[in-house]
Amino acid sequence: MKYALYPGCVMPTEQYAYEMSIREILPRLDFELIDLKNFSCCGEPIKSVNQMLTLTLSARNIAIAEKEGLDIFAPCPMCHLALSEAKRILDTDSEMKKRVNEKLSDEELEYTGNSDILSILDVLYDKIGVEKIKNAVKKPFKNIKAATHYGCHLIRPSEIGRSDDSENPQKMEEILKSIGINTEYYPEKLDCCGGLLTANLPESALTKTGQKLQKVQEYGFDLFVDVCPWCHRQYDSKQTKAGETVATKLDVPVFYLTQLIGMSMSISNNKLGLEMNLSPINKISGGNK
Amino acid sequence: MSNKIGVFVCHCGINIAQMVDVKELVEYAKRLDGVAVSKDYKYMCSDVGAKLIKSSIKKDKLDGVVIACCSPRMHEHTFRGVVEDGGINAFNLEIANIREQCSWAHDDKEGATQKAKSLVRGAVAKARLLEPLEKSKINVTPNALVVGGGIAGIQSALDIAEKGHKVYLVEKTPSLGGRMAQLDKTFPTLDCSGCILTPKMMEAANHPNIELLSYSEVIEVQGSIGNYNVKIKKKARYVDFDKCTGCGDCIDACRMKGHVPSDFDENIGKRSAIYMPFPQAVPLKCTVDPDYCLMLTKGKCGTGPLCIKACEAGAIDFKQKDEEIEIKVGVIVVATGYDLMNPESIYEYGYSKSLDVITSLQMERFINSSGPTTGDILRPSNGEKPKSITYILCVGSRDETENPWCCRIGCMSALKQMYLLKEKLGDEVELNICYMDIRSFGKGYEEFYRKIRGMNTNFFRGRPSEVRPDGDKLNIDIFDTTTNKLFEIKTDLVVLVPALVARLDANDFARILRISQSADGFYLEAHPKLRPVDTFTNGIFIAGCCQAPKDIQDSVAQASGAASRATNILSKKELEAEPLVSCVDEDLCSGCGTCISVCSYNAIELVEDKDGKKRAKVNEALCMGCGACAASCPSGAMQQKGFKDKQLKPMIEETL
Repeated sequence: MKYALYPGCVMPTEQYAYEMSIREILPRLDFELIDLKNFSCCGEPIKSVNQMLTLTLSARNIAIAEKEGLDIFAPCPMCHLALSEAKRILDTDSEMKKRVNEKLSDEELEYTGNSDILSILDVLYDKIGVEKIKNAVKKPFKNIKAATHYGCHLIRPSEIGRSDDSENPQKMEEILKSIGINTEYYPEKLDCCGGLLTANLPESALTKTGQKLQKVQEYGFDLFVDVCPWCHRQYDSKQTKAGETVATKLDVPVFYLTQLIGMSMSISNNKLGLEMNLSPINKISGGNK
Repeated sequence: MSNKIGVFVCHCGINIAQMVDVKELVEYAKRLDGVAVSKDYKYMCSDVGAKLIKSSIKKDKLDGVVIACCSPRMHEHTFRGVVEDGGINAFNLEIANIREQCSWAHDDKEGATQKAKSLVRGAVAKARLLEPLEKSKINVTPNALVVGGGIAGIQSALDIAEKGHKVYLVEKTPSLGGRMAQLDKTFPTLDCSGCILTPKMMEAANHPNIELLSYSEVIEVQGSIGNYNVKIKKKARYVDFDKCTGCGDCIDACRMKGHVPSDFDENIGKRSAIYMPFPQAVPLKCTVDPDYCLMLTKGKCGTGPLCIKACEAGAIDFKQKDEEIEIKVGVIVVATGYDLMNPESIYEYGYSKSLDVITSLQMERFINSSGPTTGDILRPSNGEKPKSITYILCVGSRDETENPWCCRIGCMSALKQMYLLKEKLGDEVELNICYMDIRSFGKGYEEFYRKIRGMNTNFFRGRPSEVRPDGDKLNIDIFDTTTNKLFEIKTDLVVLVPALVARLDANDFARILRISQSADGFYLEAHPKLRPVDTFTNGIFIAGCCQAPKDIQDSVAQASGAASRATNILSKKELEAEPLVSCVDEDLCSGCGTCISVCSYNAIELVEDKDGKKRAKVNEALCMGCGACAASCPSGAMQQKGFKDKQLKPMIEETL
């Protein structure tokens, strides 16, 4: 299985740990990542200003992978949403496809619709499969109860087809079970991380983050797991600040799902970028509490 | 073969005449082959028009008639009668539709007149080749089958029985009563549901013309209007029907007492494995639940079944077997009711997350004094009285992702329950309701709504995004569109009002009956306005919520309507069968069976002739004349009377 890795912007400029852990674990699960040149921004951050430009940027990135005959794996859920939405528009609106392809022709690119767009859950749950992950585990976790966080972009809007059920997503739970981690429903599971409010309402953004982690801590979860670089930045990097907004000392270990899988495969901490996690992850050591 | 054809052109006021030159058309028709006379009149369907046709048939000794007028769907039936009165066979008539398919469709008079000429030319060509057809007679079995013992079925059965016909009333569960038996009071009059229903149940059970088949299911239906053969499975009760006195001693004795979820109580109460669904059950007999009885599931029950010891009448019989009976009826009334949508499918409303999220039908069982809490309103999680109750309407109704239709009873049933809850819990209880629109359309409904609005209640107009458990409370965020404000409700008990959907087995039963369903799964009426209780299958009628969600008032009215339509048939000794059915040219038929696979009415079978060759044979009593077999026949052996290839092909040639 060969796939084009579409890194996006946040992961390679700031959330290195996500990329490192992805590059460590996926090849071990027979999922080969190909790096392509010339990828650009997915366009999502400027969608509210210029939709046509967003669409063209997304189409451009897909077209680069199509040229190589590869499906795209976009680990960042926001990029995954932008690319998926573009694909849906271009596959159903031939007029729009023509307009976009006119713009892409300057670079001798063409959007055809032949490549699939995969998210991290599509890859782990649907392509690789829980059984295969389970077989790759060397040291399963024990007695760990995790709170899962899917983030908004990965599961919404359901009309365009997202990676899991928008109201009751379960794939992350299934994957965690295969590496020995228990999960439990908690009412705030689908709450937003607040990250997208950062630019104009930074205080509110942190409050959203703090409120969710506060509850997670209250419920006695051992760790918090996410799959989105934007969410991770809120919950991991800004945890202390977020705690201040809700007047609570927050002390929740936050991991990428891919880091936890790597730990269960006994991959060393530095290869998984664990030293870059700013939350108190030392409470959880590889494979055990 | 007709060679003295009369062509009658209708002006239809100005509907035809303003776009078709009628005089020119009449003159043109006179010159066509086989036409003896051609006339026009302003309204051919009027009495004067009919007289014109009849006198012309006699005077000009016509043997065929073409009428150029509106669609045959409008007046073909009438004109067949006119032609027959005039003295020729009713099927030597052909209609040329020059209104819907000509004058109404065009705005160029010259072109339209040319087209009308083509249509009339084609019709005359066909009329020349039409054959007289005879209507055969069908004897009518004067009995009725009513399927479903809810209020609609009971009403239909009583109405038909009162007219003097024998009625078999089949009910799937152990007792009559249906959904209405589960309700406490009914809106908007607040009649006690049981008090008005029980006498009806008794009346049906005791009526000399009604044979009640409770705990029974219809498993096979053969035949057609006037003569249906129906197989019914009488499920084993494991209780001797005649010996059981309904004393209920066995119920108290049962080892499983308090362990079996009661479906009648919407699974909030527990019963025994031997049970009566509710105290006023009709018939008043016990039934053993084969899914829970230890004798029936494990083969033994402790040291011996306690029910047998307790039963003084010696009625319990674990050796009983299901029984099949066959009955003959002339008509069938289907009144199989509805299911409530399982609100688990809307995960965010928390039905699967919290015990304190219940459905409106569960609330009905809480309110009911013969329910599992004897009428006390208690939170299922802790058994305490709720201080705040919140209703959410349209759960899965008017929702594109679930069911787009309105359930028609949700608003009123919630308002009624709110009234009853105020009565039971006093003004201390906070009552909230989240609604999209309050639909209080029936007689006295709006007045009832106003009464509730005047009480101490909170109405929020909007759809909550989520019901979120928070400690021992439930939180609801709702954006109220009347005040443009976000409200945060903290409540003890959430009542979901789920959509009404077709019965889980509606598809299977439709197939048994060979009746149609609409896209929503409910049974389809033959015409939404003019034949609301008929189905497309002659002799089968529908009543109550199996057709679409409705309240008790409408269900009862519809049930009486269905009964009346049914007795129209039962009151006749014999019926005339439509002769426009399929027939087989045996010399051409190869016995391939294609026609059988496309026939929706089981009207064709393969029979072997004396040479051992297989041929298709049409049962004319079952054939509905849809034409599917004729269209699918690869050799042209299958033909439809009145629409044979040798009649249609010349018509097409002439028209073009």
